[in-house]
Amino acid sequence: MIMHEVLIVGGGLAGLMAALSAAEKADVAVLSKLYPTRSHSGAAQGGFNAVMGEEDSVEAHIFDTVKGSDYLGDQDAIEVLCSDGPEVILELERLGVPWTRSPGGGIAQRPLGGAGFPRACFAADFSGHVVLHILYEQALRRRIKIYPEWRLIELLVEDGRVAGVLAYDLARAKTEVIRSKVVVLATGGYGRAFAKTTNAIANTGDGMAIAYRAGAVLADMEFVQFHPTTLYGTNILISEAARGEGGYLRNAGGTRFMADYAPQKMELAPRDLVSRAIFREIKEGRGYEGKYVHLDLTHLGEALVAERLPQVRDLSMRYAGVDPAVAPMPIEPAQHYSMGGVRTGVWGESSLPGLLAAGEVANVSVHGANRLGGNSLLETVVFGRRAGRRAAELAGKEPWPVLSKTTAARSLESWSSMFSDGKQIVQEDSTFLIREAATSIMTSQVGVFRVGDELADAVEKLKELKKRYKELDPPREAQPFNYALMEYLETGYILDLCEIIAGGALRRTESRGAHYRLDYPRRDDLNWLGHTLARRGENGPEFSSGPVKITRYQPQERGY
Amino acid sequence: MKVVLNISRFNPEVDQQRYFQEFSVSVEGHHTVLDAMLQAWRQEPGLSFRRSCRSTICGSCAVSINGTPGLACQTLIRDAAGADGRVILEPLPHFRQLKDLVVDLEPFFESLKAVLPWVVTREDYSGRMAPEVSRQLEVPATCILCGVCDAAMDAPGEAAPAALVKGLRLTLDPRDALGEHRLALMKVPPDILKLFIKNLPDRCPKGIAVQGIKL
Ligand SMILES: Cc1cc2nc3c(=O)[nH]c(=O)nc-3n(C[C@H](O)[C@H](O)[C@H](O)COP(=O)(O)OP(=O)(O)OC[C@H]3O[C@@H](n4cnc5c(N)ncnc54)[C@H](O)[C@@H]3O)c2cc1C
Ligand code: SF4
Ligand code: FES
Repeated sequence: MIMHEVLIVGGGLAGLMAALSAAEKADVAVLSKLYPTRSHSGAAQGGFNAVMGEEDSVEAHIFDTVKGSDYLGDQDAIEVLCSDGPEVILELERLGVPWTRSPGGGIAQRPLGGAGFPRACFAADFSGHVVLHILYEQALRRRIKIYPEWRLIELLVEDGRVAGVLAYDLARAKTEVIRSKVVVLATGGYGRAFAKTTNAIANTGDGMAIAYRAGAVLADMEFVQFHPTTLYGTNILISEAARGEGGYLRNAGGTRFMADYAPQKMELAPRDLVSRAIFREIKEGRGYEGKYVHLDLTHLGEALVAERLPQVRDLSMRYAGVDPAVAPMPIEPAQHYSMGGVRTGVWGESSLPGLLAAGEVANVSVHGANRLGGNSLLETVVFGRRAGRRAAELAGKEPWPVLSKTTAARSLESWSSMFSDGKQIVQEDSTFLIREAATSIMTSQVGVFRVGDELADAVEKLKELKKRYKELDPPREAQPFNYALMEYLETGYILDLCEIIAGGALRRTESRGAHYRLDYPRRDDLNWLGHTLARRGENGPEFSSGPVKITRYQPQERGY
Repeated sequence: MKVVLNISRFNPEVDQQRYFQEFSVSVEGHHTVLDAMLQAWRQEPGLSFRRSCRSTICGSCAVSINGTPGLACQTLIRDAAGADGRVILEPLPHFRQLKDLVVDLEPFFESLKAVLPWVVTREDYSGRMAPEVSRQLEVPATCILCGVCDAAMDAPGEAAPAALVKGLRLTLDPRDALGEHRLALMKVPPDILKLFIKNLPDRCPKGIAVQGIKL
């Protein structure tokens, strides 16, 4: 049997950072459904927020983040995020990250939305990519064992404690039980639960769903970020850096409509505000073809676009046929980021002993109801590093947890029974149809604007889809690289998460950050200044509320 | 538009040898080859190929398109389909076919190790770097490790092409203690290296143009 003291699941920024810091003291391995360098962290363009200059202050970063979170962020976690930030950026710089430089040779910084200061460290618009590859190089240097294209299937829980995992090797089409003292989940977000998303095909929320099934608490799942500027049609992201560098949003009349919504911050208001503004413009008939608005960079000049936004330019030319240096880009909002996730403390501990989580899969919660641009990449490295340290510490002092033969056997049996219980094959139905139905419901009924009866209807429809899913016959062929089987499993994860997201959104009768209820348009601190906690129950998720940690900043009205 | 994908199939569990299967799909001209492949997959869910970002940044979808290695998500279908509306898709050449369009990447990732693929930070590094220098590093740092260069070019020396690109980036890095000694480590004669650097932008989907190497 394979054994590793610390098993990291996920090879993106959070996972690799956790692996590198845990490897200083423990035997570590990384299990990842993609080769680590293929992780979605590599698509991040804009940058990592951290206070590097003398004019800026950690205090200001904390305040911007608390305010951006619409006061739902836990302030103790936000303090950690902002205070550890500069140190981690410098650590990455020593490891070889080619940050873009200022004329004096220091690390350059650009403004991103919701920040009072140019605070994002970047490498052109390949910020996530370069850091991901540098961390991968370091993982090679440390000879960290990597299991590429292996999937986490189940967390094995013995006496209430995680004692290992059931994993599936795509190339050999075989399952393996892996024992570990600590499992760190770093499996990223669930963007593909929405029909319109900026996220990669692999982002199906596996870790959140698997942790939930194992009994871990998820938090604030109804808070879903919609990015204002994605290419119309493909929803490929056009980074906030495009607005950070001075881009304008214009409606069909050519007007910079943000003046009506956020007169001070204009295009650089937080994402929830900008996404709602765009939809309102479109809804009220001021969009192009009634479907999109323009992001205009033409006044910035070709030289700046070429130097600072080369990827944005390439993406727009290829996928929209528009050179942003000479013509405006057609854009629409789309799902982008999951604020919710596996509830953790500031060292990554989840509610299940033996299970830690970091990065987008986790809810620590630094983003609260709305994440600021540049804070998520920072979160992956800051909390990835902390989770790695804590994991190594736990591995050093705890004995190997018992993993009984019965638990392992039960898990293997439930895996194989999936293929052989003689269920009726519903010929007309397919994973594809069910998944398409679920993700369209999410985009149309659980999106930027939400309203009670539509949410209730979504919850009902999702229940029906789950029933249909249970009737499906899994693609059972034992063949290598069985992507049909993966699609089947991922659809199951997505359905579980959709149910929690829609249910949480229905329950929360207020508007806060990215969660906007047309029928309850105000924030309601009296009743709803709290985290939504979700646990798996007999008949779907069971919801409750948990307190928000407020240290220094009392909730105020959030104007921009 | 209607397009026929002619895809190389091979399942080691049942097939003695590879064969081609045709898929008829209907796509818009501005869709990518990857979009077309995903449609084919809906017709035949047993078809295997790697994909993730669908925006030319993860390096998963490298395949041979009409005989030329490239990224499926970068290639527009209207550019790939000839007048006859056909596209031939095969696994990357120089790589071992494991299943349909999926190739064995282990030797590829192993090959990186030959160039000590990490910055060996100098003790006296000040933490400052001129903007021009960092800009030079940026270009080779956009390598997505897709493997297209390994499939399209012969190794100019002992290091495989993608490993060489990494080695060259590290050579340019003022933080690195090995610096130009790396060139010796890679064991490529200067004129061959020059030629490699010259040819790379045309073969590499990211158009990587390495500049600033003194030979
Ligand atoms: C297009 C785009 C641009 C962005 N730009 C920015 C930005 O500029 N600034 C910013 O702060 N944030 C940005 N974000 C958000 C940020 O990039 C992500 O939140 C962050 O990178 C997530 O990192 P992660 O390590 O948590 O997860 P990921 O990088 O998504 O990695 C997840 C890992 O888990 C593995 N995995 C998943 N499921 C399984 C399973 N079942 N078994 C085994 N392994 C599994 C995957 O293989 C992968 O290695 C952007 C996001 C997108 C989509
Ligand atoms: S150099 Fe270019 S072709 Fe080669 S692996 Fe990197 S991105 Fe791919
Ligand atoms: S799918 Fe990522 S490069 Fe093509």
